[in-house]
Amino acid sequence: MRSWLPVLRERRRYLAIEVEAEDRVRRTDLAAEIWNAQTSLFGDLGAARNRLRIISFDGRFGIIRYSHQRTEECRAVLATIHTIGGTRAAIRVRGISGTIKAATEKYIPQSTLQPDENVRRVDSGLVSGSVARVHGREIDLCPDDRKMTEGSGTRYVGLTSFDL
Amino acid sequence: MKYYECNLHTLPEGSDSPSRMAVAAKKLGYSGIIISNHSTAGEAYGIDAARLVGGIEVVCGVEILAADQRGLHARAASLRDRFDFLAVHGGDEKINRAACEDPNVDMLAHPHGGRSGIGVAAAKAARDNQVAICLDLGPMIKLRGGARVRWMEMVRRDIDLIEKFGISLMISTGSRSHLDLRSPRELVALAALLGVERKRAVEALALPGSIVDLNVRRWASVGVELL
Repeated sequence: MRSWLPVLRERRRYLAIEVEAEDRVRRTDLAAEIWNAQTSLFGDLGAARNRLRIISFDGRFGIIRYSHQRTEECRAVLATIHTIGGTRAAIRVRGISGTIKAATEKYIPQSTLQPDENVRRVDSGLVSGSVARVHGREIDLCPDDRKMTEGSGTRYVGLTSFDL
Repeated sequence: MKYYECNLHTLPEGSDSPSRMAVAAKKLGYSGIIISNHSTAGEAYGIDAARLVGGIEVVCGVEILAADQRGLHARAASLRDRFDFLAVHGGDEKINRAACEDPNVDMLAHPHGGRSGIGVAAAKAARDNQVAICLDLGPMIKLRGGARVRWMEMVRRDIDLIEKFGISLMISTGSRSHLDLRSPRELVALAALLGVERKRAVEALALPGSIVDLNVRRWASVGVELL
């Protein structure tokens, strides 16, 4: 690696993120979406200053590197992402750290719970449909009536076990 | 600080039940959410389930959808006692002005939905009647390119106006799904890009909570509370 004067070394921070999406998210789609959001919001000049890079991404959790002192700007870029590769998604920042190791140990969970497979159909007054995915208490429901999700542009109706 | 998300649409207007919104908002660090659907039929679907979530306050509000000024004042007066939080569906210049002139109204939601912002006369009225203006960051998240540029221009101008008259500000995303929600910190970062100072943005996120606290108390008349 090319050496650099220690005083001029570019300092970095690492964002641990979680991607909430209706479908599988690929790393290339995420990278493209971050790139588009960034150039749309700050242009090439701001993008060069932010220096956002994806370090790792496993489909749900990931680590993003950026230039230190650009935290607010990078948060704003990630907040403006609403679809990834054509599916509705949102990026949640779990935490910020100075090293990849610390970000991984502190903010990326090492084991995830298996979904509960007991409920398959929901029929309760206003909503009816089949369960697409269960995650803890949260339930994504594929509604029988497609018009139900028209306003928000999502594919699934979000419920919890409290509703059933 | 207790942060509140003040303008949420749930089933059937959005695609999520109130309890799913509550779970998502709790994860993001909110202390409370205000469900403000356009329907005035009564409490929203599944709001009792949302109150079981725990650790987050779920307030049932309403967003008044009115065609003209007279209709707006009449509905605001009749709905005031039934709901803890009264918002108005803004966007139209006349409706924005009428909402700012009505002391029954707590908040004017998305005044930048159409082509017009709030304007000087409405801003003065909002200050006198203590109507909060809601900065809806949904367009900033969802729009790109020219449409977002025009929206940002309009909002920047109105933020100057809000600062000049010292009007109370609220910040929201106008979510229709849990995927539209953003954490308070992200909203502060987005608002900072539009020229809202950090301190002001934090106050704006906490303001709905204090207004709801005042509204749930039973007032006999101005300054007199029933205990």
